[in-house]
Amino acid sequence: MAEEKNKLSKKVIKKAYWDWMFFNLSVQNFERMEGPGIIRMLGQVKDELYPNDKKAQQEMLQRHTIFFNTEPYLGCIVPGIVLGMEAEKASGGDVDEEFINSIKTALMGPFAGIGDSLLPGTLIPILLSIGMGLCKNGEIIGPLFYVIAFLGIMFPLTWFLFSYGAKAGANAAQTVLESGIKDKVTNAAEIVGLVTVGAITASYASVKVGLVYSSGEMTVNVGEILEGLFPKLPVLIMAFITYHLMVNKKWSVGKMMLLFLIISIVGYFTKILIL
Amino acid sequence: MTLLQALIIGLLGWMSSIYSPVLVGGLGGWYTLGRPLVSGMVIGLILGDVKTGIILGAAIQSLYIGLVTPGGSMPSDVNFAAWIGIPLALVAGAGTEYALAISVPLSLLGVAAVYTTVAINLYFVHRQDALIDAGKLDKAINIPVVGQITNFVIRFFPIFLINYFGADFATKMINIMPEWLTNILQMFAPMLPLIGFTLLLKMIVKKKFDLIYFVFGFFLVAVMNLDMISIVILGALLAYVLYKANNNKEVSL
Repeated sequence: MAEEKNKLSKKVIKKAYWDWMFFNLSVQNFERMEGPGIIRMLGQVKDELYPNDKKAQQEMLQRHTIFFNTEPYLGCIVPGIVLGMEAEKASGGDVDEEFINSIKTALMGPFAGIGDSLLPGTLIPILLSIGMGLCKNGEIIGPLFYVIAFLGIMFPLTWFLFSYGAKAGANAAQTVLESGIKDKVTNAAEIVGLVTVGAITASYASVKVGLVYSSGEMTVNVGEILEGLFPKLPVLIMAFITYHLMVNKKWSVGKMMLLFLIISIVGYFTKILIL
Repeated sequence: MTLLQALIIGLLGWMSSIYSPVLVGGLGGWYTLGRPLVSGMVIGLILGDVKTGIILGAAIQSLYIGLVTPGGSMPSDVNFAAWIGIPLALVAGAGTEYALAISVPLSLLGVAAVYTTVAINLYFVHRQDALIDAGKLDKAINIPVVGQITNFVIRFFPIFLINYFGADFATKMINIMPEWLTNILQMFAPMLPLIGFTLLLKMIVKKKFDLIYFVFGFFLVAVMNLDMISIVILGALLAYVLYKANNNKEVSL
């Protein structure tokens, strides 16, 4: 394929990128999920891909009236790849219609998994934890840090992924999935994430034991002894109980909340818990 | 709360809901303005008390920090919790425990809103199909713009109306609450973040041993009283050392 014939210009990639970023979930629905977002993205560049060929434009949109769902931001490499394949087809490359959709469908699952676990599952909680740690008394630096760090990372990163996908096509996915980059990044991020989550657990959750044991002349303040031994130990114990019940015993959020409520009521009236 | 304040909060609440496109989709919306930590700052700005807004926002954030929405399923909705819970608690002069307590039912209401939206949007999907088949391509492409109306109606009106009409009610409710109830809430609410943190741990922890890093972070704050920046630096150092150690092990094998 001759270079000058390739319809994939930077302008086309940019146009499609912004449209995907804005509208990927705009008409989220049960049946096609992000499908209408793909149609919008390709439709925005239809005149560049197939100038004055309405039939071809229509066919291109028609073949994408199917289910599509991935994590829209780190997974934006997939719509990028779709754009790349469509541009190659439009430039006269030998790209089968079914090939485009089978690649699209094959990739959306893995990238949904990677995206969900890295973005809302790791990066966002870490940045939020740092932000929350910075504004214990309502300092504005906490939320500002989050906004600047998150957008500062995400705009260049999503643009890189999307345009890389568009240029490298289906091979791009292979590279990302097989390189092991994901595992290395995830492992490191997980450790940082766990440390910061531990830190904000200590600063945001609170359970105070005020149990006083008295027998005759002797009174023992169990709560104070615990505090001296390991400050906030009851919080840590409670965190492990919550983890055990919700992860090992598969308790639902509602059930867990109910238990907390019961503990609070009993704790208040028996004076085992204090404020 | 004035009409204008309630209107602005309603609009921003819609803009930062999960399916709203206006702020570059989820990048500036759901994942930025939609995070209670950020919502709290902006709501505080609108209502004239940034500091309290941030404190309330951070408290609600702690409950939802591990929120992931895989495949469009919605375990809990943070949008109403933040954009109704924070303003109401703020105007009522209530503490974080009230904000946390009302965020729970609000979140359930929000989940219902999400499912209503995705059900109604089916209409737009089929409209788009029909338009493409009829050759009206530009109209078909505009469906994601037009179809946003569902999400707008379902987000803007509840947030605007509950804030505008609910502010006095919330203030009254909080003033007539008996002391014992307030005290129980104050014990209950600070336990709730443990649920948010557990949902997050459930995702990150691959083997039980990993919990040791969690305990390490907890220890750094509870016992050593370190600030967040130092903790992140220590965490990053730890990750780097472990990464190096793992690589060496592979080489020596």
